[in-house]
Amino acid sequence: MSAPIHTVHSNKSPTGRAQTEPPVVRWLLIAAALIFLTLFLALPLAAVFSQAFEKGLTVYLDALKEPDTLSSIKLTLITAAVTVPLNLFFGVTAAWAIAKFNFTGKNLLITLIDLPFSVSPVISGLIYVLIFGLQGWIGPWLQEHDIKIVFAVPGIILATIFVTFPFVARELIPLMEAQGKEEEEAALVLGASGLQTFFRVTLPNVKWGIIYGVILCNARAMGEFGAVSVVSGHIRGMTNTVPLHVEILYNEYNYTAAFAVASLLAFLALITLMVKSIAEWKVRQQLENS
Amino acid sequence: MSIEIENIAKQFGTFTALGDVTLSIPSGELVALLGPSGSGKTTLLRIIAGLETPDSGRILFNGTDTTQSHVRDRKVGFVFQHYALFKHMTVFDNVAFGLNVRPKETRPTKEEIRERVSKLLRLVQLEGMAGRYPAQLSGGQRQRIALARALAVEPQVLLLDEPFGALDAQVRAELRRWLRKLHDEIHVTSVFVTHDQDEALEVADRIVVMNRGKIEQSGTPDEVYEHPANPFVLNFLGNVNLFHGRLQQTGEQPGAGENAVSYVRSHDIEIDRSPQDSTALCAEVRHIQKLGPAVRVTLAIAGSPELVEAELTRDVFQNLGLQQGESVFVRPRQVRVFVEDYQI
Repeated sequence: MSAPIHTVHSNKSPTGRAQTEPPVVRWLLIAAALIFLTLFLALPLAAVFSQAFEKGLTVYLDALKEPDTLSSIKLTLITAAVTVPLNLFFGVTAAWAIAKFNFTGKNLLITLIDLPFSVSPVISGLIYVLIFGLQGWIGPWLQEHDIKIVFAVPGIILATIFVTFPFVARELIPLMEAQGKEEEEAALVLGASGLQTFFRVTLPNVKWGIIYGVILCNARAMGEFGAVSVVSGHIRGMTNTVPLHVEILYNEYNYTAAFAVASLLAFLALITLMVKSIAEWKVRQQLENS
Repeated sequence: MSIEIENIAKQFGTFTALGDVTLSIPSGELVALLGPSGSGKTTLLRIIAGLETPDSGRILFNGTDTTQSHVRDRKVGFVFQHYALFKHMTVFDNVAFGLNVRPKETRPTKEEIRERVSKLLRLVQLEGMAGRYPAQLSGGQRQRIALARALAVEPQVLLLDEPFGALDAQVRAELRRWLRKLHDEIHVTSVFVTHDQDEALEVADRIVVMNRGKIEQSGTPDEVYEHPANPFVLNFLGNVNLFHGRLQQTGEQPGAGENAVSYVRSHDIEIDRSPQDSTALCAEVRHIQKLGPAVRVTLAIAGSPELVEAELTRDVFQNLGLQQGESVFVRPRQVRVFVEDYQI
């Protein structure tokens, strides 16, 4: 709405000095933050990679080429490939409804979207066992018809969808609300249909918000442990995702293999972080232009 | 295209935005909906556009009931206060939007669209800007692009919601003169919302003064200014002074003997060194404030607690050579008296 305003901040100017803390305080705060980050983030990350490559590149690659590992990677990719598009669709429609329309039950919907954040992932997994498990509500019926959900791939996907569905919606709702309805109204008055308005006006305005949400959703879908652990049944080569496989390898004292597989997740985290900061920057730009 | 507004009412929760509003807007006129914030003027405009649904009443375009028809079928042009330009599109794509979203059968060819857009950009005097993005334009330029975008679909009715509200004073004055000129060229029935009486008086063919969800008065700028229907209209169109009193019995006049308030506009108060006639009142100069070309003098009437504001031109002020604390005589040139519902 407003033209960009260029303000010049300079610590050398008298006003700049008047508004900042003395150098000692500033350096202490920065040092504290850096030490904390090193201890809790950089060191563990370095440990993962150093352990993974401890016995050389060939051992590392062999650990990844092991059939059970490959199958766990495949399962994780399948889970993410199903979960992320579904949650993208759900998140965009929910955010669109909440931000641009008024309806009864809107607050209830917002609360429900937040539910997975407030429920422990283990409980989320347990819910599915209670519903679809053999002792659950529809477990016997499922068994009669030979449909496997719990301790099989469908259960893993269901639990992952539940745990990750707030990410896209939560990212988009505040962004869409901040941008208001005026552009959509303008499009409607000009004769655009609902779908044209959505694809030509709403979507381009939240493009980076969507990418941000998808990246976070994907990272969580691939890295989810608790909920998946409850429903998976830990069948090697069948229902083990990457995080579950790491745990099994570690429990078997197969450290190099465990860290090698874990390094894949670490790579994923690094890439996620990178895309996330680009997306964050772009989202800010989109908000400033509105 | 004429617009008939019949008994429109709209409620937001417990707040009555519009209570039974009836108004007819003749074809080709430029009408201003004038009122303070919360008077329902924007709601009325949005109901005409179809962006809001009335609780009751009807909207007729050229005699046809359009109350139930969808926004996109009403063929209206709408200009928003904050422009609502599509940020991610160039100026060209913004203006062409209404044409590009048409179904294939009625969509003009690319060449026709290009021609129409450049014609419109010429009309709003922004020919060289087709490739720019809204963020690269000034406020006044953005609003002109918003207008070009609204006109691109050849609307039967042009609706403008506080179109100059977000602009600074100089650009605003320039743009409203330009809008008046544009309307004289294209003659599309236009309704614009404003809370600025100068803007309404300068631009509109007709002014509809609104207050608390009701129409107080509707008429030409001269009518509403010279013959305000009630104290609200008088108050809203310029500074007024109030004199409380009781009407004297003079024949069979309605309301005689009742309490009444007389209103005098501040530029209708004359200041003299000596009493001109029996209506002159003795007063003391309390305060002098210079406002560009005009001078505002606050006076205390002798024997009354009321303060009176008079607005003089700089020339008159200098000829009088007024000083603070001086005693002078004031005489109202034109007085309007309102008793309850009666106007005298």
